[in-house]
Amino acid sequence: MRRKVAVGVIAAIVVPASLAAVVAVARPAPQVVVPPVPSVVPRDTGAGELLLVVVGGVYPSRAAAEAAAASMQFGDVQGYYVAPVAQFQGFTQQVREPGDFALVSAFRTQEGADTFVEFAQIQGNPAFLLPERVRSLGGVYVGLGQEENPDGSGPLLGPVPESLP
Amino acid sequence: MSIGSRRARAVVVVTMVAALALPLVAWHWSRVGWRDKHYNYPARPHGYTQIVNRFGQPCNANASAISMSWVAADTGQTYTFRFHRKLGGYPTEMVSNKGGNSTNLDNDVYGHIRNDHLSPYVKHGIYGYLCRTIRNSTKWSTHAWGIAIDVSSAEEYLGKCFSTVNKYHAPIWRNHNWYWGLAFCDPMHFQYATGY
Repeated sequence: MRRKVAVGVIAAIVVPASLAAVVAVARPAPQVVVPPVPSVVPRDTGAGELLLVVVGGVYPSRAAAEAAAASMQFGDVQGYYVAPVAQFQGFTQQVREPGDFALVSAFRTQEGADTFVEFAQIQGNPAFLLPERVRSLGGVYVGLGQEENPDGSGPLLGPVPESLP
Repeated sequence: MSIGSRRARAVVVVTMVAALALPLVAWHWSRVGWRDKHYNYPARPHGYTQIVNRFGQPCNANASAISMSWVAADTGQTYTFRFHRKLGGYPTEMVSNKGGNSTNLDNDVYGHIRNDHLSPYVKHGIYGYLCRTIRNSTKWSTHAWGIAIDVSSAEEYLGKCFSTVNKYHAPIWRNHNWYWGLAFCDPMHFQYATGY
């Protein structure tokens, strides 16, 4: 009788413990929580930051710049943005072409800017990168956020050390 | 029999022999070792949430992990573009080990197009991964996940609601889970997703 009780007690302890161990082993490792990226790109102007700017041309008016942008081939992805050149401190000193509006796309990393230059040129569009970073004074959205975060996690949605003044 | 008629008869005979022999000696991509593998294709996602669950965040490192080259038939220009790790880069007879997880794009789709002699219908303007939004939109393009390829982009321009060259190889893409953008007047565009 004692033996039966002992076996019962041991079974009552061992069986749940074994089940718990099996469940613990079978449970998947906790997933790394990745902060969600919004399904739309935030309209970040990078005001105050030092940005790399790819230029597709400089034009006397907004209408002329928009007409030029519409004629460029970028397939089904976004090409240049139309922006007043005055929204970048140091722009006119580097471009030295007359005109108040430009076709631009801005980036925080060299890799992001270089990739866009290559893509634009492959599509047969004019594209050159300003030699020096320019300071964004805010204004209209010019494409920030459309480049890779160097850590490989997704898009770069904030400043990097090089873009901070 | 005159020399002229003999010559004409000889031309007819040579033409007939050539016509009969050609299919027997026709060159196929499979002759140099290509095989359709259909290995480890991911399920095709529908909508933004499924795309993120299956392929990760837009512009993540896996989205541009694999590269391949394709020569445009009309210009001879070689385009090298990148795409998602889950859509190719797995080693086969024709593809070196690029660290990819499947044989979808670089072995199977590309191989079928070559094997079926449809390369002449792949024209200039070819690209894949790009961390960019849809034109005139703030929504991420499927290119930002490396799950979209544009082919013959100059000929099959955005807004054209019919196809002149991609229609010849579109069935191959479709048979490998790719959705053709002709449905939304973007005939250059093939994407591995629907509902987006």
